[in-house]
Amino acid sequence: MDTTVNGAPTPTPDEPEVNAAEHLRDTLGLTGTKIACGSGVCGACTILVDGSPTASCLLPSAHLAGRSVTTVEGLGGDHPVQRAFAAHDGLQCGYCTPGFVVEASVFVDAWRAEHGDTAPDRDTIADALAGHLCRCGAYEGIFAAVAAACAGGFDTEPVEAPPRADAPAKVTGRARFTGDHAPPGTWTGVIVRSTVPHARILKVRPAHDDGGAEAPLVDLLGEDRTVRHVGQAIAAVAAPTPAEARRVAAAVQVDLEPLPSVTTVEAARRPGAPLVYRTKAERAAAPAYGEAPTPRAPWNGNVRGPGVVSWRGPTAVSRLRAARLREDPRLVAEEYTTATQVHTPLEPHVSVASWEDGHLHLHVSTQALSRIVDKVARRWDLPRNRVHVVAEYVGGGFGAKGALSPDTVAAVELARLVDAPVRVSLERSEEMTDAGHRPGNRTRVALLADSEGDLRALAVDSVGDGGVSVGSNVATFAALMYGRSPRRVRDFDVVTNRPPGEPMRGPGGPPMAWALEQAVDTMALRLGEDPLALRRRWDGNPKRRALYERVADLPLWRDRPRGERTGRFRRGVGLAAAGWPYLLGPQAQVELTVRGGDLMVRSSTQDIGTGIRTVLGDVIADRLGIDATGLTVEIGHGSSVHGTGSFGSRTTTSMGPAAADAADRLREALREHSPDVPASGPIPEHTFKEALSGAEGLRVVGERGLDRWGRLTPNMAGDLAVGRGMSGAVHVMEVEVDTLLGRVRPTRCWAGIAAGRIYNERMARNQCEGAVVQGVGYALFEERRDDPHTGVVLSDDLEEYRLPGLGDVPETEVHFHQEGFEHVPGGGIGLGEVSVVGVAAALGNAVFDATGIRHHDLPLRPDRLIGATR
Amino acid sequence: MIVTRPTSMAEVAEDLAEEGVRPRAGGTDLTACLETGVIAPGPMVDLLGVTGLDEVDWRTDGSARVGAMTTVAALGSDPELSRAYPALAATARALATPQIRGRGTLGGNLLQRNRCAYLRNPAFTCFQTGGDSCPAREGDHLRGVVMDQGPCVAPHPSTLAVALLTYDASAHLATGPASEVSVADLYEGTDPTRDHTLERGTLLTAVSLPVPAPGERSAYRRATGRSRAEWPLVEVVVRLECADEGRGPVERAAVAAGAVARTPLRLPEVERALVGVAPGADLPDRVDGALTALADRCSPLPATGYKVPLLQGTLRDAIETALEVPSR
Repeated sequence: MDTTVNGAPTPTPDEPEVNAAEHLRDTLGLTGTKIACGSGVCGACTILVDGSPTASCLLPSAHLAGRSVTTVEGLGGDHPVQRAFAAHDGLQCGYCTPGFVVEASVFVDAWRAEHGDTAPDRDTIADALAGHLCRCGAYEGIFAAVAAACAGGFDTEPVEAPPRADAPAKVTGRARFTGDHAPPGTWTGVIVRSTVPHARILKVRPAHDDGGAEAPLVDLLGEDRTVRHVGQAIAAVAAPTPAEARRVAAAVQVDLEPLPSVTTVEAARRPGAPLVYRTKAERAAAPAYGEAPTPRAPWNGNVRGPGVVSWRGPTAVSRLRAARLREDPRLVAEEYTTATQVHTPLEPHVSVASWEDGHLHLHVSTQALSRIVDKVARRWDLPRNRVHVVAEYVGGGFGAKGALSPDTVAAVELARLVDAPVRVSLERSEEMTDAGHRPGNRTRVALLADSEGDLRALAVDSVGDGGVSVGSNVATFAALMYGRSPRRVRDFDVVTNRPPGEPMRGPGGPPMAWALEQAVDTMALRLGEDPLALRRRWDGNPKRRALYERVADLPLWRDRPRGERTGRFRRGVGLAAAGWPYLLGPQAQVELTVRGGDLMVRSSTQDIGTGIRTVLGDVIADRLGIDATGLTVEIGHGSSVHGTGSFGSRTTTSMGPAAADAADRLREALREHSPDVPASGPIPEHTFKEALSGAEGLRVVGERGLDRWGRLTPNMAGDLAVGRGMSGAVHVMEVEVDTLLGRVRPTRCWAGIAAGRIYNERMARNQCEGAVVQGVGYALFEERRDDPHTGVVLSDDLEEYRLPGLGDVPETEVHFHQEGFEHVPGGGIGLGEVSVVGVAAALGNAVFDATGIRHHDLPLRPDRLIGATR
Repeated sequence: MIVTRPTSMAEVAEDLAEEGVRPRAGGTDLTACLETGVIAPGPMVDLLGVTGLDEVDWRTDGSARVGAMTTVAALGSDPELSRAYPALAATARALATPQIRGRGTLGGNLLQRNRCAYLRNPAFTCFQTGGDSCPAREGDHLRGVVMDQGPCVAPHPSTLAVALLTYDASAHLATGPASEVSVADLYEGTDPTRDHTLERGTLLTAVSLPVPAPGERSAYRRATGRSRAEWPLVEVVVRLECADEGRGPVERAAVAAGAVARTPLRLPEVERALVGVAPGADLPDRVDGALTALADRCSPLPATGYKVPLLQGTLRDAIETALEVPSR
């Protein structure tokens, strides 16, 4: 029996091991259907089977027999909900988008049939889309889009272009992500991973294929031939089909000599505990998860540190000691912990490699394309013109996709071995185990106020639990808050035989704020002062002070409930302040080429959902006074000029000015041949066209100009410098606590962000809204759970690792304070990180306000809430 | 992996008679179990095309016999089922996600494997996978049982079973010795090697419900961290038969809880306390007393003590909802 797919009959597959999603993608080439969680939780693979939304990753392909299937491609692109997603920017990276729009299309049609053109409320939409997750957190836009489509707002194509230039490609499934680039004949690579926490690997014996030949295998171990955690990559194998590759991988034999291991922080700190790193050289080679190069620090057993930042440190310490001895009520000393948060972008780490005449073609999901090009060229000793790396659409990263990861190494090596394209795509369990996380922390904060209520001393000691990796900087960030009173902050790492961390969106920031901002609220309570008033006194940062002014007038804050709350449901409001250094990539470049009478914008940067593709076009159009839709923007190709990596909140503030500079250079170059082009101001359309037609082949390269007054650091390793001034944020969160069932429901959030001029208001808002979603996840749900005896990650799917869904997030309002970065070309800096730092802390303060109980441990699970409100 | 697709029960019986053949219903849990190595790949008989397995038969006395291949979505949306068995319909609407409800079936839900992270991780063996220990008991068992019945600490995952217990429903079996067992007897708490009592080769074909009770008041409640799409920490069905077509006091109460023990459990002490309670009024002290006394029946693991107050709270919530007690 045939299957009808998007209206056309196709043979139904008879392969029991192939699910419907794999069949649609790999056999029929309908790659709009994405596979993300592999367990029916996230909805990225949703298709319609006889009109009914279905998770195709759990659907045996044989169940398609005789059915009519519609994929995102079959929606046609003009369904009202697709237009609405684009117009309301209900997406960022776009990887979850096809699943969302497929399910939403059915909901919208059914809703309108039953209720007419009216907008459903948030709860109704959350119910309908309960089987979908967006890791970027574009939920505010999704709510708005679905409501608007139901209300009949998008029955015709909107006149205005969507705020995000690549939204049409993403809502139709046309946007092709790395794993979608697998031509027929592509082999599957699978990574063989350690099943023990610590061992020396003696020998890796390849498996044999059905014909008895040795199956291709590449070694992924480091020089010391040691694995230090369960899940560490040992080798990789390839086979023509996924099922065969999995079988071959399972048959690889690893001879090893087990070494003693430690899989909890407590065990690692015990005297005589087995050492994760035994030699100085091993310690020096330990992976680091900081965003910037990790400073040196001493080691003692499995403990590294302290890394100390201090300002009149001895004074701070002696004041705090004396206060403790005299039991000073103005001393606040508290300990806070956070859980391990996993990046888990919905598009996993994935690479597709092939070799052709000495040329390497590599599709890779990366947030640091230019860096990957450098590393690939060096590792395989290739001249630049033989390395062709592409990352056109990247399905989220959040810091996890900045390195040359084992999937890429495996794909490149295996492709050479088998002389065919090889795709290595991590399973969700691999992604949750060995592809990056924000380590958990234990942080002690001490604050001392004097009789005037001024801050007299601050001390923070923080211990990072990053598995085999080091680089905790939680305490360091506390030193940058609340003026210049005496302070000492110290960061430690405890290494264990567990997987390494990677920098995650604002590394160090959220755990710092979770501790410090709650301690500041405790101090306000001790001093009998309003938490906002205390911050206004203590915090000299002019940008945050401007945000505090707004908060004071905010109904959410001003009219918050006061006094003791009673009853089952208790409402509370809390706030938290945050700051983040201003980082930039001084090497950013944008090239403009005149080709076929059109203007092409290129750079080797990448769009992981932040919207840099759109910003580049906007900046150039704005600078030249032309229409952005006439430009072709091509990013994600490594053959272009150097582009900034998407981390450290520095893409837009680096690439934007480079684009403006490119536009200025283009104008100058055009004027040499076409004197009609004005020296400044908008270029009339016909003048511009004429000028381009006379300038075929013209190429200019724009660069990131210098800031006025220079930078705080030179260009450090990896295109990274620190500029002057810090971004600021203040979050105000309202929650409702169900004291009977131990549940916290965030209801409203106000996010005040000070990062200078905003390049694209809607996309910036989307990113800040997403930060609230991720912060809520961090505060309430997200927690990697490991087996204490082996370090095996137990929460290795999206069922056990809980991401917030539509129904879990507050209605969010974002306010931008756009002054304070006039010294920066373009006037604006990044906001990706500062927007996430204080969210969990604000939520913690809100829960305290609601219940009168201070929680010290994240996440705020029901078992913790119910224990504390009994 | 060989998969047969019979269309009649006779063919199913023939296929299942083969050694090691598993039935596959909606495939949502089975696919996941194959992916994570809970079960080894092997021959399967696919039930999707079998005629008659997804039908609801209404008997002349007004009771229903619901085919095992009826989807969870159908249980929740069928207007006649919703009218006759409101507790079952409300429960069906509250579990999983729309996509899973659309594929998952009544039979599959009752006979699915438990959610223990150790069971579903190929790095571990346990009683369920041929081992001789429970790594969760010594390891991470935050979501484990609070009434400890035996070596395994994984709660039973079937939400529909909780509702069916309150109806004293029975399951029809084919190809095995008995032809009908109570839903309660599908589960047994002390055997750590399995999540239900059916022998390999036995097929659950339908569930029989009793004659609908006029005046049923009911509620399903689950305690979770997130608002939706999450396996419950505790779940509860309260089904009350009230006099005067639901307006009068409780004449018969059926209360069951899930996610607290190896099997879904009826809670007779709470049921007794509810008899005679009038809708719309504050709950009498004896209900509080019964909820408090539940703590004595609990035997928490080191990390599951929180489930005692959570069970009490979830029950209170469900009782208050079913009886429309004014909120506090």
